[in-house]
Amino acid sequence: MKSAARDIVSRVISNERIADRIHDIRFALHSAAEPPLPGQFAHVSVPGVFLRRPISIAGFDPASRIARLIVRVAGRGTDILSHMKTGDETRMTMPLGNPYPIRELTGGEIPDIWLVGGGIGAAPLLYAADYISRLAGGRAGIKTFLGFRDAAAAFGASEFEAYGETSLDVGGFVTDALTESLGKKIPDAILACGPAPMLSSLQKICARSGVRAYASLEERMGCGVGACLVCNCGISKDAGDEVSYKRVCRDGPVFPLPEVVFK
Amino acid sequence: MNMSVDLCGVKLKNPLIAASGTFGFGREYDELYDISCWGGISVKGLTNEPRTGNPPHRIAETSSGILNSVGLQNPGVDAFIREELPWLSRMGVVVIANVAGATTDDYTEAVRKLSDSPVDIIELNISCPNVKEGGVHFGICPKSVSKVTGAVRKRCLKPLMVKLSPNVSDIASVARAAEDAGADAISLINTITGMAIDARTRRPILANITGGLSGPAIKPVALRMTWQASKAVAVPVVGMGGIDTGSDAAEFLIAGARAVMIGTANITDPTAGPRIRAELENFMSENGVDDANELVGSLRTD
Repeated sequence: MKSAARDIVSRVISNERIADRIHDIRFALHSAAEPPLPGQFAHVSVPGVFLRRPISIAGFDPASRIARLIVRVAGRGTDILSHMKTGDETRMTMPLGNPYPIRELTGGEIPDIWLVGGGIGAAPLLYAADYISRLAGGRAGIKTFLGFRDAAAAFGASEFEAYGETSLDVGGFVTDALTESLGKKIPDAILACGPAPMLSSLQKICARSGVRAYASLEERMGCGVGACLVCNCGISKDAGDEVSYKRVCRDGPVFPLPEVVFK
Repeated sequence: MNMSVDLCGVKLKNPLIAASGTFGFGREYDELYDISCWGGISVKGLTNEPRTGNPPHRIAETSSGILNSVGLQNPGVDAFIREELPWLSRMGVVVIANVAGATTDDYTEAVRKLSDSPVDIIELNISCPNVKEGGVHFGICPKSVSKVTGAVRKRCLKPLMVKLSPNVSDIASVARAAEDAGADAISLINTITGMAIDARTRRPILANITGGLSGPAIKPVALRMTWQASKAVAVPVVGMGGIDTGSDAAEFLIAGARAVMIGTANITDPTAGPRIRAELENFMSENGVDDANELVGSLRTD
């Protein structure tokens, strides 16, 4: 699919620390952008470090052209990004990447889509919840399962509550609550984002229950547009098929979960 | 103002070429801007057989640069000729086919196929490990450069540009070896071998352990080698290594390069191509330079 991404100058309009090492930053885009879809990301230029940083889009308002990025401080670049102040300008290329196939999943009826987020993985799912809800005219009940390493790191639970039943697991495995719920009902699809061990567990659970699932992956990136090939991950269409490398920035970051090859 | 330069009888509308490995086959950047703003594009390195490349991680950030170990992932020469070249050859840029290989036969076979295709120039990537010589790279010394260039020259019906590795003790002698073996042009530098370590885990960041350093960090080395190579050979030299601005590009021309290649800059700024072109034009008009060829080899050391 042809990308509609553009490199856009943007200005910080707010930066709020919402949890331990987690910042909710809103950027006003100086020129028109193709409205992103949930699962897509922005490749953000950060002063003081060489490479841009890919950050999932946690929300977008086309009328005001405001992009919401939730940043976890993981290293130097995200540390600098988390300290950006109102009025600071930077450039970002967006929207990039292959989004969650929400429109294909909804197809006319109100879908039963569950969201599974681990840590900063909750960020793109906030946008997914908003988008699904609007597509369904506000009538979708979206079940969300969130997991965080500790209470200080937790964010977003009250926002997800507005869309539907939300379970919050702190210090344990988010997949425990999910397994219990799957015992009672199978959703149309699960959209997930989080650390690789969580997604790997989720892959096995979904295979056992026969649920359709999509996961957003991450990998160290170069260009972010699909040209340089550094961000490849292993994908295998069928068990026993040869593993091929796909670009997380362009063929992903969203992939059908059964196809992801975890180390 | 004239921006066009001649490279082995091929006319480039301007001296800016997108470097191999950073630009794919042009399709991704063509979605962001009209890629005909470039003088030429050197495509992702092609091997005889498709290659899947190295496992992740393939990139590590450095100060003012990156280390990469992609491992020459590419669809293979046949797929390039069939699926990418027809589109790219209509995009109004000089097409340079970058060729890699693990044995001399790999190179000659790939070059044979490309000689019978609409590419304009063939660029020989000799920074690849020679599996028949224990993985030492082809570009490491004059003797092996001469051997692989000579073997390819016999099969190559297109202008042949040899891309030199900087991981050598004497770039001038390697450049001369390529020229003597029949190269129509030299391009340099490829990446400098480097390494990055995660101190907490005590592991290398790259799955391949070592990788190639590129970006502004290597510009001083690239400039020096471009200057030395230009003095050593009569064939045209294409310079690259850390070019991020029009002024950087001018520096390489001044050092002796006929044209330049721009790679890592595309990664940090997706619109580097049109930006650097505009900056070079500005540089020329601000400095009273009417013809880009005036800059070539104009370094003054008196």
